[in-house]
Amino acid sequence: MKMTSRGDRPDMAFGSFLILLAILALFGTRTLAVGTAANMGPGYVPRALAWIILGFGVIITAHGLWTRFRPLPPILPRPLICVLVSLAIFALILPKGGLVLATLGTMACSTFAATDYKWRESVIFAVIITIFTVLLFVNALGLPLSVWPQW
Amino acid sequence: MNFIDHLAIGFATALSIQNLLFCLFGVLVGTLVGVLPGISPLNTTAMLLPFTFGLSPTSAMIMLAGIFYGAQYGGSTTAILVNVPGETSAVVTCLDGYQMARQGKAGPALAIAAIASFFAGCVATVVIAILSEPLAALAMKFTAPEYFSLLVMGLIAAVVLAHGSPFKAIAMMLMGVLTGLVGIDVNSGVPRLTFGIPDIADGMDFVPVVVGLFGIGEVAANLEIPQDRSILAGKIKNLMPSWTDFKAAFPAILRGTTVGTILGILPGGGAALPPFAAYALEKKVSRHPERFGTGVIEGVASPESANNAGAQTSFIPLLTMGIPTNPLMALMIGALMIQGIQPGPAMIHEQPALYWGLVASMWIGNLMLVVINLPLVGMWVSLLRIPYRLLFPAIILFCCIGAYASSNSVFSVWLMLGWGILGYFFNKVGVQPAPMVLGFVLGPMLEENFRRAMLLSGGHPLVFVQRPISATLLAVAAILIVVMIFPAVRRKREEALKE
Repeated sequence: MKMTSRGDRPDMAFGSFLILLAILALFGTRTLAVGTAANMGPGYVPRALAWIILGFGVIITAHGLWTRFRPLPPILPRPLICVLVSLAIFALILPKGGLVLATLGTMACSTFAATDYKWRESVIFAVIITIFTVLLFVNALGLPLSVWPQW
Repeated sequence: MNFIDHLAIGFATALSIQNLLFCLFGVLVGTLVGVLPGISPLNTTAMLLPFTFGLSPTSAMIMLAGIFYGAQYGGSTTAILVNVPGETSAVVTCLDGYQMARQGKAGPALAIAAIASFFAGCVATVVIAILSEPLAALAMKFTAPEYFSLLVMGLIAAVVLAHGSPFKAIAMMLMGVLTGLVGIDVNSGVPRLTFGIPDIADGMDFVPVVVGLFGIGEVAANLEIPQDRSILAGKIKNLMPSWTDFKAAFPAILRGTTVGTILGILPGGGAALPPFAAYALEKKVSRHPERFGTGVIEGVASPESANNAGAQTSFIPLLTMGIPTNPLMALMIGALMIQGIQPGPAMIHEQPALYWGLVASMWIGNLMLVVINLPLVGMWVSLLRIPYRLLFPAIILFCCIGAYASSNSVFSVWLMLGWGILGYFFNKVGVQPAPMVLGFVLGPMLEENFRRAMLLSGGHPLVFVQRPISATLLAVAAILIVVMIFPAVRRKREEALKE
């Protein structure tokens, strides 16, 4: 039997993720008092959960290694990166740059996530949404946000 | 007994001008997100949650509930006219609804869908009103062990009813419980798993977690699939179904309502599962099962009544016991807690106006939906012409603003970004994030009751099986696990979910 015919990649990825998460949790709770079953410390439940999750991770990974090969679905980097960067832009611009700049930045960056965007309609739409956002969230709902950049 | 009094309080509350307006706003927003594929009531509610801070608790709940059941109406409109389910709960409606539209019977299909939903909504409202008192009274007897067992049963049931591998769903649920414990331990005051980040000392905020998992992760994954929509244009004429249509649809509506009402109450229920079950049942009892999928009216009436009944009765566990059975109900708990109201069995007596006002508003909201929606069908359909390439930047923007508003800090936006990556990852490896969200919300409650029960029993785990109510609940959970393991039952379940 050839090695390449084995390995369920999605299961292996999910199982490995569980193992990593459990190790992280066990590391993060290493200083917490565990206590006894009758009088549990803050670490009792989280550590118990982490060990159980570790078990699940090992079983899912092992099962994935053993079953028939199944590839990971393809990952298109463009939409993912554009979406994530547009969130980062919002978080970075908003505190100093104000809502208008943050909105335009986020809209601009996320628009590039699709490949079928058209310049004219996207610009018009972004301007409409920006006006709408300011009117709705700042004027109507009264969110404590600055609209324009603060120097 | 004082059933009438309660409904009187409810209608007096729900019929105030302010609450009527919020109800109307809720159902309109709900219909809108129901019509548009790619925006779910879940992320809409999450986005709107921070903006309910300024409202009265009653208005906030009435509006948020309206979004949920309004989305069921909207979802069916697109299913029938465009063959695109606006919501997962409308997937089944596509089968026969779209075929009816292609045969020129779009009008009757839409009308029957609306009537079926309205009928189911009325029945569900009455069921909520009847079941509330006894269930709340039962829940009042609950102590820590019962609550722990109830939560365990709820989580297990949610896993059973979820799509995909139950084993992985349990892993997701446990992961949710663990992440729910992040923050300062209430008993000892020690920060846990915060890794020195002060912003998560009080636990991770719910809104960025849910919006990240469901909103951002899904947008990123949706963008990889080409979106195409062919709208069945042409005028919709003669809305009224014929008498034969009515006669065929009515028993189906009754059956759909029953299925939806029961499945909605169960943990893990809600609006997504009942239509599948109702459609399968309808096919079983029909004398012409082979005609399903070619545009039979029962195939529209039954799932449509089931999803609306389920959407509404899923409020019962939340309202009577303070336990959310699906991620959307978890958001509702969040909305209540923000308002300083602890959801639980005491709510029905402490907040009668809120409680019965919400119940009454569901009936009013359903009436509004029937009256408003049929004339507005054309407008909703024209909204579908907005291409996804323009829609999703706005969705992302509103997610950002919603996350920011939940804590007034950009840290929430970063947190949402992190959970968005996780949501994308889960989507790629094919696991459902819903059990994780439930675990995340119920985690702190679960640990609290577990620790208290163990403290009271002096560390003997037997306490959970020595008390009758607790033992029954755990037995149900155990049966559910056994059922899942049996391959024959499992195959059936997959069939029912796939169809």
